[in-house]
Amino acid sequence: MAQKLFYEDVNVGDPMPELVKGPLQKLQFVKYAGASGDFNPLHNDDDFAKAVGMKDGVIAQGMLIMGMVGQAITGWIPRKNLKKFGVRFAGMTKPGNTITVTGAITDKRVENGENIIVCEIAAKDENEDVKITGHFEAALPSKA
Amino acid sequence: MADLSKVGTEYPPIIWEVERGKIRELAKAIRDPNPAYLDREAAVVEGYKDTPAPPTFLTVPMMWADRMPAIINDLKINYMMVLHGEEEYEYYQQIYPGDVITGVPKVVKMEEKTSKSGAKMDMITMEILYTNQTGKNVAKARTLVVERK
Repeated sequence: MAQKLFYEDVNVGDPMPELVKGPLQKLQFVKYAGASGDFNPLHNDDDFAKAVGMKDGVIAQGMLIMGMVGQAITGWIPRKNLKKFGVRFAGMTKPGNTITVTGAITDKRVENGENIIVCEIAAKDENEDVKITGHFEAALPSKA
Repeated sequence: MADLSKVGTEYPPIIWEVERGKIRELAKAIRDPNPAYLDREAAVVEGYKDTPAPPTFLTVPMMWADRMPAIINDLKINYMMVLHGEEEYEYYQQIYPGDVITGVPKVVKMEEKTSKSGAKMDMITMEILYTNQTGKNVAKARTLVVERK
């Protein structure tokens, strides 16, 4: 559960708590296909994936990895405080990869009466290969 | 190869009734143990009306509405060469079980780019603004699709 975090308690440069996920299994890609509706065979059929150039077979849905980043964010800051969340998909994730989500505050400002923090986030695997880079903005409560 | 003249095209709305079970299913597939997504009582304790939709929930109506194949076809994009480049959400209201959300997909930008290695690709940006049953804007999803050529 997210602890209550106040605007005054955080500073530029502060890290987001790290989240480690994995090693990922193909079964999770299948579960995510059912949950999300993304049934592209690239994520569930090794023969298909190999035929389109993935030499090791299936890869994870990018949105699954973004979902893990969302888990990291809203495990730290309540869902209701999240205003913006954007990512760039930088690399493919394979079964067996362990994903580590990290982040840090890059800016804080008061805007339209809201206390906004801006964070950069990244998801990397055990070889430091980048899967996702991105950012989010959240409005935090004030002690004032 | 994408038909770049289609920029500005709007597609028929995606209409989606949000279910508590689907919110839980998505959280469980991500293996996100946050009780706010899994349990109504826990969500209420944290100040929500019900289990709120997780940050990436809007992929569910987008994918389950089966709208992408038709849009990709209409834009003359080769599905086999498509990569998901970027995804961005802006959140205006919580999305709760029982909400009926309506999203209008729109192609906002189409351009050809050349990568550092010299490969050409088309970059297609789609936006979907979702409103709920009260007519309020709840969120906007922006998707960058890359078609390798």
